[in-house]
Amino acid sequence: MATPVIMPKQGQSVESCIISQWYKKKGDSVKTGDLLFSYETDKASFEEEAKTDGVLLEVFYNEGDEVPVLYNVAVIGQAGESTAEFSPDGFAGNASAADAPEATSPVVQAAPVAVATVSAASADGKIKASPRARVMAGKKGIPLASVKGTGPNGRIIVRDIEAAQPVAAVATPVQAPQSPVAAASVSEYGNAEYEVKKLTNIRKLIAKAMHESLQNSAQLTHHLSADARKLLALRETVKKAQKADPAFPNVTLNDMVCWAVIRALEKNPEANSQFLGDSIKTFKQVHLGMAVDTPRGLMVPVLKNAGDFSLKGLSNHLRALAEGCRKGGIDPELLQSAAGSFTVSNLGNYGVEMFTPIVNVPQVAILGVNAIVQRPADIGGGVTAFVPYIGLSLTYDHRAIDGGPATLFLKEIKTQIENFQVHID
Amino acid sequence: MPKSQFIHPKDVRKAGFIEFGKIPVNQYSKKLSDERADYSDADLLRIYHDMAVIRNFEEMINAIKISSEYNGVKYNHPGPAHLGIGQEAAAVGMAYTLGVEDYIFGSHRSHAEILAKGMSAIAKLNDAELTEIMTRFQNGNILRVVEKGFKGSVKELAMQFLLYGTMAEIFARSTGFNRGLGGSMHAFFTPFGVYPNNAIVGGSGDISTGAALFKKVNRKPGIVVCNIGDASMACGPVWEGLVFATMDQYKKLWEGEYKGGLPLIVNIMNNQYGMGGQTNGETMGYDIAARIGAGLNPEMMHAERVDGYNPLAVIDAYRRKRAILAAKNGPVLLDVLTYRYSGHSPSDASSYRSAEEVEAWKQHDSIIAFGRELAKAGIATETQLDAIRNEIKTQITDILKMATDDAVSPLLADSETIGQMMFSNGSADSMEEGRTPDVLMPLEENPRVKQIKGKVRFHTDAEGKPVSKMKMYQLRDGLFEAIIDRFYKDPTLVAYGEENRDWGGAFAVYRGLTEAIPYHRLFNSPIAEGAIAGTAIGYAMCGGRALVEIMYCDFLGRCGDEVFNQLPKWQAMSGNVIKMPVVIRVSVGSKYGAQHSQDWSSLVAHIPGLKICFPATPYDAKGLMNAALQGTDPVIFFESQRIYDVGEQFHEGGVPEGYYEVPFGEPDVKRAGNDVTILTVGSTLYTALKAADELQAKYGVEAEVIDARSLTPFNYEPVLQSVRKTGRIVLASDASVRGSFLNDMAQNITQLAFDELDAPPVVVGSRNWITPAYELERAFFPQKEWIIDAIHERILPLKGHTASTNWSDAEILRRNKHGV
Repeated sequence: MATPVIMPKQGQSVESCIISQWYKKKGDSVKTGDLLFSYETDKASFEEEAKTDGVLLEVFYNEGDEVPVLYNVAVIGQAGESTAEFSPDGFAGNASAADAPEATSPVVQAAPVAVATVSAASADGKIKASPRARVMAGKKGIPLASVKGTGPNGRIIVRDIEAAQPVAAVATPVQAPQSPVAAASVSEYGNAEYEVKKLTNIRKLIAKAMHESLQNSAQLTHHLSADARKLLALRETVKKAQKADPAFPNVTLNDMVCWAVIRALEKNPEANSQFLGDSIKTFKQVHLGMAVDTPRGLMVPVLKNAGDFSLKGLSNHLRALAEGCRKGGIDPELLQSAAGSFTVSNLGNYGVEMFTPIVNVPQVAILGVNAIVQRPADIGGGVTAFVPYIGLSLTYDHRAIDGGPATLFLKEIKTQIENFQVHID
Repeated sequence: MPKSQFIHPKDVRKAGFIEFGKIPVNQYSKKLSDERADYSDADLLRIYHDMAVIRNFEEMINAIKISSEYNGVKYNHPGPAHLGIGQEAAAVGMAYTLGVEDYIFGSHRSHAEILAKGMSAIAKLNDAELTEIMTRFQNGNILRVVEKGFKGSVKELAMQFLLYGTMAEIFARSTGFNRGLGGSMHAFFTPFGVYPNNAIVGGSGDISTGAALFKKVNRKPGIVVCNIGDASMACGPVWEGLVFATMDQYKKLWEGEYKGGLPLIVNIMNNQYGMGGQTNGETMGYDIAARIGAGLNPEMMHAERVDGYNPLAVIDAYRRKRAILAAKNGPVLLDVLTYRYSGHSPSDASSYRSAEEVEAWKQHDSIIAFGRELAKAGIATETQLDAIRNEIKTQITDILKMATDDAVSPLLADSETIGQMMFSNGSADSMEEGRTPDVLMPLEENPRVKQIKGKVRFHTDAEGKPVSKMKMYQLRDGLFEAIIDRFYKDPTLVAYGEENRDWGGAFAVYRGLTEAIPYHRLFNSPIAEGAIAGTAIGYAMCGGRALVEIMYCDFLGRCGDEVFNQLPKWQAMSGNVIKMPVVIRVSVGSKYGAQHSQDWSSLVAHIPGLKICFPATPYDAKGLMNAALQGTDPVIFFESQRIYDVGEQFHEGGVPEGYYEVPFGEPDVKRAGNDVTILTVGSTLYTALKAADELQAKYGVEAEVIDARSLTPFNYEPVLQSVRKTGRIVLASDASVRGSFLNDMAQNITQLAFDELDAPPVVVGSRNWITPAYELERAFFPQKEWIIDAIHERILPLKGHTASTNWSDAEILRRNKHGV
């Protein structure tokens, strides 16, 4: 009996994934554990291994295809076994417009490819559409495959795209504005003077999130700085310890600031909240988001229950999250802004002295960490000396927090930093 | 057909005989001593020198072609070289008496004539004139090359200039007389009276007749010599040129000082072979070429065979013939007998003639014989003659070094320059400023002008009611206004063609012109489309503006060489020395079946170097004709017999009374719409408008109708703008669809607006058949139903529409498979 390979479901909100690359092709022998294909969601990429031995009998989707989760992607079995029963509904290779079943499940309705082939693909599986209709569909985010062509020989023409717009919006309210099929099919172009690249999905998401944040909340930023001598002293201790024991965790200044922030949040829970329009959700635990710069774009993974960890543990967990983002494979659930209660964004490494981070809504505040700058300060005894100060920029949503509490919270972070006392050994 | 000449049956039905007079053959019998009254020693030595220069020049080219080396100078010349070794006496004799103002035209084998005429001109021009010419020509480019380090007289410098300019041209150098764009077969130099040499056999036959017409009509001094091969006497354009040159009307109908024959000598350089075909004995039947004169007019063109191996015999003939031309009794036909030892080209193995024959002619060699005469008469010793020849050899070797040195004689650096030379893009009210045009009455007294004054210049009156045809300003009136306006502005303008004068043109465009314009500016041509176009080309080459008519587009084939090879090319081939203000009106027929109803605008659009327009409204017809007649480029001006009587429906306020131009290359939106673009050429505009009406009424589809107006040049921007809006385009014209220019437009639109298109552009043209009789035309020419069906079937299915014509893929494949 042949075994289907299904598209795994990566997280609650993931409804479909795009196949990035096939490592095996139809007819190849596979062993359990062999890499079959890689795939990606809006936010992360994954690899799927074979879970059984046999021959890759059938491949239902190609690289670049969007596949609804839990759909059959391929079939592994013994040579000669039938694969027809595993064919996903609407699969272009074996379903014609006439005999394809009506799409019924909510998942199928939300998946453009499945809808697609039911109505528009021709006998050879190619979609006929005029160039103008293609461009228009791309702009409006309408998957061509979901459109019925009324032009000569069933060609999709402009009027079909115009007519398709409201239908598509009803059928796939969530997917329509960010249709991965349309995005994937649009090529790059340009000329000698410039290059135009279509947005990647992650870039679209970032753009949307940032724009919505600024449009839908009342943000302002306070800046102050904290004497960082204690942090730097501890950092020296860490470095020394690492020299003695290479396995000693590399506790960074950022880890220390996060530690301080967690402590401050515990004392000021109104900043450890989400603003939900008609209510404010205040968390009992700190779920700390951390902005991570990756080759694919900005990601903000969340460390759940961050307050539970020791400084070393915090450091290890934050590092693991960041690596997960850079390499792919992070649980997409942890990338949702709703998963976090507060976010830290550190640009200090780059020498930024002050910035206004954007709140990761629905969270109500975000801390920007800046570079350490030597500033003259009264160090007591009538002596003024240069002291390293670390800059802190707190952006908060004034809908949720007023200026007074926000300032007190920021001040608390400063206090935590200036009185940093963690024994590390 | 002039009413003044009464054809009385009693006269023409009388019995009788045609009497031919005698045509002299080699009648020159003078000895050198007999000629001493006319020639000084220096004159005779110059003749010898000029012949020796030509011989040496040709031998040098021959050596370069055959062995890639001459006198120690190595060079490879891949281009053509049609040499005339042996023909020197004919060339020098022809040129000797000619003045600078006398023009010669030639053939592919005309190096000898360029040099002979050039040397003749140098002998006649004074130092100041020569310096002026050399300094001004191409801003002194050639002079700078030859004067560097040169120590000698101005005349000697001019000699260097002539040899170098010719040689550099042959070797395609930018410092050649025509910037290297003419080459061996086309080189010429107008300041010395050397006009284009033509690589199409017989090409100069009608062109030089046009040059003579220019001299005559504009009362310019000088004569025109058409140097043409014996074999070219078989060519239609030559025959047509001869017929055009011998028309009775010059002597019988032209008036006053314009009365009399053309100042033209048709000089057959009779080397007795057309490539390898023997003209006497094999490929022609005239026996002696001079006999042709007897077939052309009662004067037998004063034809004569002259011994072209004796320079003095040729000179003698030219002196006598010139007197005939001066007495306005031309034209003249000379059969100058000569022989080339060199092959047709260096690849010629002379398989068609015996070595003995060539040897026999060498025994008669003109240079040796003439040198012997000079020695015998004590004018020069053999040693002195040897010295002349050696000096020439050194000179030609030196110039060869210069002409093949890339540093001195570079090739055209930027080949895009050729593109810039295709059109002169000039704008000139008149081709000869300051001269008053010859006309017969003030413009406002002209009966047609008066009649048009009373017409309504729009298709509806002030109340919006349609104007009757009789009262309406029609397309033909627009053409007339532009043309008569130019007749009163440009004294050089001539118009001719079949039935252009008393008849007023077959389609009444010229009605009223006869009253206003004297015979020499407006006349009936013979039914000879080749000569109609060819003479216009020669006329324009000399500095005039010509407007000629091809009565039916179908007759374009009759002037194929003129329209395809001559008219479009000479501006660029001359290196922009020559301008070509020729407008050929071509009337596209209707109702007259297979040989009188074809739209061949696509044929000429394929040819680089022509401007092509096809107006469909009175406003555009007048504006484009004004632009055509103001310009300095060749224009093929298409008109349609279907719409000579249409009124102006588009231009607000009607057709302006004053002068205005519609620029070439600008399409015009005749009706705005958002749903589909229909681009038309010519009278198909009106078919498209009917289709647009129906699309709107029945299907709610708004068509934008664009009239191309021009084919070349063509600005695609307005069309692309429309397509960006509509996303759909149909192209329609009456041309047969296979190879129609519309396909070119469709292809360009596709590549320029691919992503804007909602369907591939569809071309609606006539079928690939003969044009059937009027009764069957609906099956052949695009109908409004075809346009609607094409949209429905291939672009935008129309709700409720049923196509009556077949636009399926299968039908397209079938038609092409069967070639119909």
